[in-house]
Amino acid sequence: MTTENKLSGMELLRALCLEFGPTGCEHNVAALIEAQLKGVCEVKRDRMDNVLAHLPGSGPRIMLSAHMDEVGMMITSIDDKGYLRFTNVGGIDTRVLCGRRVQVGTAEHRIPGVIGAKAIHLQSAEARTKSTLVNELYIDIGADSREEAEKYVDIGDFATFDTGFGLYGQDDRQMRGKAIDDRLGCAVMIEVLRALAEEGGERSYDLWCAFSVREEIGKSGARVAAYGIDPEFAIVLETTAVGDIPGASPAARVAEIEGGGVISLVDRSTIYDTALVNFAMECGRAGNIPCQLKRYVSGGNDAGHIHKTGDGVRCLAISAPTRYLHSGNCVTAAANYDHIRDLVLAMLNRWDELN
Amino acid sequence: MELKQRITQMAGLMSISGYETYDRAALTEQLGDIFDEVITDPMGSHICIRRCGRPGAPKILIDAHFDEIGMMVTQILEGGFLRVLNLGGIDTRILQAGEVIIYGEKPIYGIIGSTPPHLQKPDEAKKLKPIDELFIDTGYDKEELEKYVRLGTPVGFLPAYTELLGGKLAGKGFDDKACAAAAVHALAGMDRADQAGDVYLLLASQEEVGLRGGETGAVGIDPDYALVIDVTHGSAPDTKKDEAFPLGEGITISLSAATDLRLTRRTVELAREAGIKFTRVVEAANTGTDANVTQLVRCGIPTVLASLPLRSMHTYNEVLSISDAEELVKLISAFVGDTRIAEDFAR
Amino acid sequence: MLELIKKIVKAPAISGRETAVADVIRAQMESLCDEVYRDKLGNLIALKRGSAPEGERKKIMLAAHMDEIGFLVTFIEDNGFIRLAPIGGINFVAAAYTTVVFESGLKGVLVPESGTKADAMTFDRFYVDIGAKDKKEAQRRVKIGDYFVVEPSVTRLCGKRIAGRPMDDRIGCAIMVEAARRVPAPRDDVYYVFTAQEEVGCRGAKTAAFAIAPDVALAYDVTGTGDTIGAKPMAIKVGDGAAIKIKDSSVICTPAFVAELTDLARAEKIPHQLEILPYGGTDTSSMQMAGSGCVAGCLSIPTRYIHSGVEMIDLGDVEACVALTAAYLNRT
Repeated sequence: MTTENKLSGMELLRALCLEFGPTGCEHNVAALIEAQLKGVCEVKRDRMDNVLAHLPGSGPRIMLSAHMDEVGMMITSIDDKGYLRFTNVGGIDTRVLCGRRVQVGTAEHRIPGVIGAKAIHLQSAEARTKSTLVNELYIDIGADSREEAEKYVDIGDFATFDTGFGLYGQDDRQMRGKAIDDRLGCAVMIEVLRALAEEGGERSYDLWCAFSVREEIGKSGARVAAYGIDPEFAIVLETTAVGDIPGASPAARVAEIEGGGVISLVDRSTIYDTALVNFAMECGRAGNIPCQLKRYVSGGNDAGHIHKTGDGVRCLAISAPTRYLHSGNCVTAAANYDHIRDLVLAMLNRWDELN
Repeated sequence: MELKQRITQMAGLMSISGYETYDRAALTEQLGDIFDEVITDPMGSHICIRRCGRPGAPKILIDAHFDEIGMMVTQILEGGFLRVLNLGGIDTRILQAGEVIIYGEKPIYGIIGSTPPHLQKPDEAKKLKPIDELFIDTGYDKEELEKYVRLGTPVGFLPAYTELLGGKLAGKGFDDKACAAAAVHALAGMDRADQAGDVYLLLASQEEVGLRGGETGAVGIDPDYALVIDVTHGSAPDTKKDEAFPLGEGITISLSAATDLRLTRRTVELAREAGIKFTRVVEAANTGTDANVTQLVRCGIPTVLASLPLRSMHTYNEVLSISDAEELVKLISAFVGDTRIAEDFAR
Repeated sequence: MLELIKKIVKAPAISGRETAVADVIRAQMESLCDEVYRDKLGNLIALKRGSAPEGERKKIMLAAHMDEIGFLVTFIEDNGFIRLAPIGGINFVAAAYTTVVFESGLKGVLVPESGTKADAMTFDRFYVDIGAKDKKEAQRRVKIGDYFVVEPSVTRLCGKRIAGRPMDDRIGCAIMVEAARRVPAPRDDVYYVFTAQEEVGCRGAKTAAFAIAPDVALAYDVTGTGDTIGAKPMAIKVGDGAAIKIKDSSVICTPAFVAELTDLARAEKIPHQLEILPYGGTDTSSMQMAGSGCVAGCLSIPTRYIHSGVEMIDLGDVEACVALTAAYLNRT
């Protein structure tokens, strides 16, 4: 990709989401990000293959972090008839797997496949009421024999959803696709880096952006990145599950899908820095940028690793409120992309006001 | 020394999780002059260093955990009986009527009590007894016993080794000291000049209770890259196809999102070139070994995992095949000697 | 000692919001130490430099956690009732129908939704009634993200026993303050670390220990006992002295250090007992695992009814912990 091929806005996000990057195989996403950051700032890879982008400045070291990997599958064996058995990499509800299109392979080459499921006609009455176990599912790549399948696929190869990316709804206000978790965060970081690089001038902070690996299995590349960067502050850009669906009580809705970035107070892995939380909400208010506090304690993200790294890191998480996480079709409001970017920029611009 | 002897010697040491320094003197004696230095760190891991003699050479970490599962005395009862708690995952079904050593001021032999069928209530045998309802019979008076044993005294399975048919060995502590012994054996048979770097054999502590010593040990060593060696399940009548591997057919190398993809590919190539008998196995998100933590130490340490099949893991009589252990020795030698890996993965 | 305990107990401060209690402790430690500061995660660290020459001093880290379990406001219902999230391991059966205090001093009552059975008492079935007549009034007094705790208290009981909350782990903090008073000139560098965020996973101790890189780490925390009706058999009794920890589910204390403390207690005739806790976790593990690891142990204060409003301890045990700490720091 040449520098003329710079993508921005929704096209950037689309390209990132479509890229093949299951946990442990993030290479292609990393390469796309590096290409998109060419000429913007200094970019390097660390020993775990996290992509680290640096915009130097004087003042406190701030780390932005978003993970490149997406939930996926790994091929465990190939049977005599050429079907692929697999296991999940990252938390996937098997009910979202049956009958879906997938891409199977490695960073270098892939082929399409379909996750097979026994037709409802052939299921017993009891089986119809139960969810299938992941080890009962298989991927059908159309091969007629083990020998044929082995020409294309090896055990240890990966698979991801092959469900595309798109806008839908009234005035295309919602976006849907695989890997919005967390390519949206990656896209926001690229846009933030570009905006700041373009703006130029002296910066009162030293900014590092970590595009990290292996978040979805908890073997956090961001932890390693944070150890190397040794920041004072970190902002994790993520997605968070929302419960704003039919039947949910107001207190259990977590957040509103059109409400902008979700600021967490606390989740299962982190108690976020109070001053940072207040500062983010204040920047949102002052800049008229929609943002919201998370109403529920659930989930966790790389902040759980980052804040305990070294002698400690003051952490904030800004998440896109997202429905149907860890499926082939995650859904969030299209406007959240801009809202989160604007909020991050607003915070960085006013960083010296943080107390 | 034969590999078999090295394995039984090391497995026979007492190294229950948290108490890995108990037999340090015996360990040092076994290691002889194979290593330049053996350092015991504050977590009780033993770091055995063998330099290649070239300055600035990469640091190669071989992690084999040295701890073994065991028990700890929680109560000393009238009649010289002891109550215990497990250290590491122990299947309580296998404990009753087994022989143990209580590692107090002097080692004391004991038998874990069982209720004979004659005295059992109907259906009692179907129920699982939690470990705190079991007891150890020492044959001592309480007063005499208290001179040697106190709360926290570790208790381990009796070390006794038997050779089975087809070059198989049965006994306690092969998880993971058989792998540790294989690493020692590999290095003993290797010229220092043939090492592609300085080797740090980490005999890690407290793996069985939460992958603890492997992490702190690797932090202290700060290696360039790592090979973690541990045991995996050997096929038996009650195991399924994908979760266990036949004894005698070599070792396994793990394909996992939790280890380094490039280093794993290179190690697989290396094993093929060296004619090592191995199977690749998928452990997608979690290897259950020190490899989980080694990879995440400091700025990240590229890590690959190889395993030795072992039947009846965590029992009085784990069973391994000497020929598999020999394949592991070959892999360790090849890995330590490989200059291409050293060039690619040196910082 | 009782006055000191009361002072430290009565400053509400949940995990991640420890400033109120940190201020109280800082006031005690400032005159006793060379440096007192808070770090990024909110740990309060007081350093007393040792008298031995540079290079011959060890770094000894003592740690007790300042934070207590409590609640965060997550949502205000239309009728003015307040929804919450638990911070730390709340026993909701014990917390039901208690008076709670917000950081502003505002009080409320914590109640389950009507008809909630004891075995269904989880955080999402609870709310706080501050007496507000509607959402508007509630919003004037409380906002999302505010914290509150079950009202602190200290009650004297028979003999040397007291009950109240949060003994866990303000009693450990009090022991450290008192130890600092009794050892005005330690030989080694002593870091008195009042840690943050223990109740949510021993987080503060981890980063503090990383920064300090101690040679030896000693934690102070409460432990369960086997001396109540229906308790699981366990050798620990309230009143039998300082409990020297051998293990809990997160740590196996360094055996040589356990032996050293035990021998010292025996030599100094300090009442003590050995603790093997089949569950639980303390800052000990975070310190032992920090960086490339360190020698670690824990002195536990036998405590009945942990995580309730009536955590009970014996001041004799507290004194034993102080005495053993002083003996250790004064050892030659």
